[in-house]
Amino acid sequence: MRVEYINPFVEATFSILKEVLNTKVERGELYLKPTSHPVLGVAAIVGLAGDVEGRVLFDMARETAISIASIMNGEELTEFDELGKATIAELANMITAQAVTKLHDLGFRFDLTPPALITGINMEVSSPNVEALIVPVTLPQGKLEINVAIRERA
Amino acid sequence: MIAKVDYQNVNDRKPDGLKTDGTPYRVLVVDDSMFVVKQIGQILTSEGFEIVGTAVDGSEALEKYKELHPNVDLVTMDITMPKVDGVTALEQILAFDKEARIIMISALGKQDLVKKALMIGAKNYIVKPLDRKKVLERVVQCLK
Amino acid sequence: MSAVDTEVQKEGSHRPDEGREKIDFKMITFSLGGREYGIDIMKVKEISKIDRFTYVPNGSPFLRGVYNLRGEIIPIIDFRIMFHLPLKPIEAGKAENVLILNTEDQVMGVIVDSIDKVIGVSSQRVKPAHPLFHDINVQYLKGIIEYGSSLYIVLDVDRILGIAEERQAEQPAAAAEAPAVAAGLEAPAFAPSGEEESADTLELGFIRDTLSAFRGFVVSDLNLDWVKARLGEWRDLRSSEGRGVQLAEPNEADDFLEPFYSPYTGELWGEAYAREIEELLPDVSGGTLSAWNPGCGKGYESYSFAALLDRHYHGKRIKVWANDNDLLGISMAPTLAFHEEAIPPLLAPFVVKTRNGFGFKQELKDSILFEYHDILHPNPFPEVDLVLARDILSFFNPVQQQALVQLFRSKLRVGGILFIGSNERLVDSGWREVRKGGVCGFERLADEEPSNKEQVT
Repeated sequence: MRVEYINPFVEATFSILKEVLNTKVERGELYLKPTSHPVLGVAAIVGLAGDVEGRVLFDMARETAISIASIMNGEELTEFDELGKATIAELANMITAQAVTKLHDLGFRFDLTPPALITGINMEVSSPNVEALIVPVTLPQGKLEINVAIRERA
Repeated sequence: MIAKVDYQNVNDRKPDGLKTDGTPYRVLVVDDSMFVVKQIGQILTSEGFEIVGTAVDGSEALEKYKELHPNVDLVTMDITMPKVDGVTALEQILAFDKEARIIMISALGKQDLVKKALMIGAKNYIVKPLDRKKVLERVVQCLK
Repeated sequence: MSAVDTEVQKEGSHRPDEGREKIDFKMITFSLGGREYGIDIMKVKEISKIDRFTYVPNGSPFLRGVYNLRGEIIPIIDFRIMFHLPLKPIEAGKAENVLILNTEDQVMGVIVDSIDKVIGVSSQRVKPAHPLFHDINVQYLKGIIEYGSSLYIVLDVDRILGIAEERQAEQPAAAAEAPAVAAGLEAPAFAPSGEEESADTLELGFIRDTLSAFRGFVVSDLNLDWVKARLGEWRDLRSSEGRGVQLAEPNEADDFLEPFYSPYTGELWGEAYAREIEELLPDVSGGTLSAWNPGCGKGYESYSFAALLDRHYHGKRIKVWANDNDLLGISMAPTLAFHEEAIPPLLAPFVVKTRNGFGFKQELKDSILFEYHDILHPNPFPEVDLVLARDILSFFNPVQQQALVQLFRSKLRVGGILFIGSNERLVDSGWREVRKGGVCGFERLADEEPSNKEQVT
């Protein structure tokens, strides 16, 4: 992934999570994964277009998703219902939007598609031919992985 | 931020959502995210506003506005929505009622669209994540 | 231990560098009754295949006999019998795999099913063995350790042999006659079929292990010539300092490897070197020249290469894809800055003054795309005219090296040139070596063409 794209995603993740959850956010070391990877239970995906093509995927366990959604809604959710899904989708949207704004400032034209939310057990999400940058995040509510796969438009 | 609902005013400041005659301002909330609708709802109702309708896309927004008119004082309009987006809906509502007061809600990164909306006639805009204080400030300013 | 493969424990290649703990324990691994075991290599004198023992009457059941090891009569113990493990039927005349163990006062041979390899591990990783989970009495075990995808049970040789002696001593006195009996017999007419290890290959093996463990440097055909030559130098250097050859720490590995790296590693290229590379650049038709620079580090070689390409292919559009899997290093590359004294002639036309000293002109920067990328992962790069991969193949294991050379081949157009490290040598058909002075490139041949002989210019 292009070096200049990395920081905007990392910073956006950090800043939105801190603002929205008002809690300690710990970032793990970034690393690269080859294409396919199993999903932890809940994934919010935001598509990217413009100078690049690709997607940002927010990957977490169901329990973590419920915890996060509960905090964001100011009430305890007991299951991952429509409200919970809408909440996590919105979180993904906010983080990606902030990253894209920073990238605009750096001169890169990116656009985002509305977020999609998928849930399930042992799902595989693969982007053919593109490796993914993983930003691991540890919250009191659990682990979250931001998975960014971007390819330059030749 | 935790959108905590507080129903009590701890001092005798008049709640932002009430008009001088004591009746609430009536708001139509337009957003495709159930979460955002809930958040805006919580923030506004805690200050006495009344949510009179919601819509998930631009075409429903126009429909509802026409139905509720003239009993709508303010519309909060999300920019990115399926079917008909917020900027188009803005145009259409203003065409129907040039006095309509519409405030745009957007995620960061949609500056161009926000500018366009303001030029078309939106009163103001609010950026997500929604901050209670900012939302109320802008909404109040919009209603002046 | 040249007859046996040597490996060292490393963390997986996708993860950030965290597995380079101190290798302070080497084991030779073997299998016994279907399980994997390990023994401290310090206790192992040699390995052999022995197909004839002298049977000793009244010996313990696990004492298979004795054997004449170059004049010394040593007992041969069958671990499988000693530990009541399932035995393969013993075929008469078939050679058994024997580890010759050397404890404080005794030399003994032990028979195992098969001998595997030497592995280097950190002793911190040896976990205590649970009494219930093993076939062998836990008092014989140092512990267990995970390596790769296998679990190895580490045997405590001293304990085992101590106990073996005790049990043997319990046998009727006839056992004491055994050595005498054996001495009277003809020494077996054959020699052990294990190879005679020379000190040299053993040394090379240790250097190989430690270079790999400390710096991820893999000794293979690619660089063996250089390593052997360097080892000779190193031995002389160290003996003049009164030290042994062995590399005890990462910075000693760095010292050993220092002369390996290509000229101007981590620096902008000097003119003479640039000229040598330039002589090997192929002709290119079309308006664009594209190059791939894996392992670019902080970007010095990428900028140098791009500047050289711009100079040589005047007028053509230059595109360089530069990548590295060292995030910290490559994240500095797009904004590389430096001080005036450091600017070589090659790059002078591309330099501008900035707030922090000097940087590169936008047009040069625009010609390079820096990406954080692991070259073992799929890559979307299109076909290129050139590949600049200096000193990176040596940091991958031989299987990965093969795959990478294939990858380079698939990305390079026919007639394109691959530049590898100055001390690396490509041994692969499908490439023709082209040389200018100290610099050597490899031309990618068309698929049907047989490999041509070296072309020296």
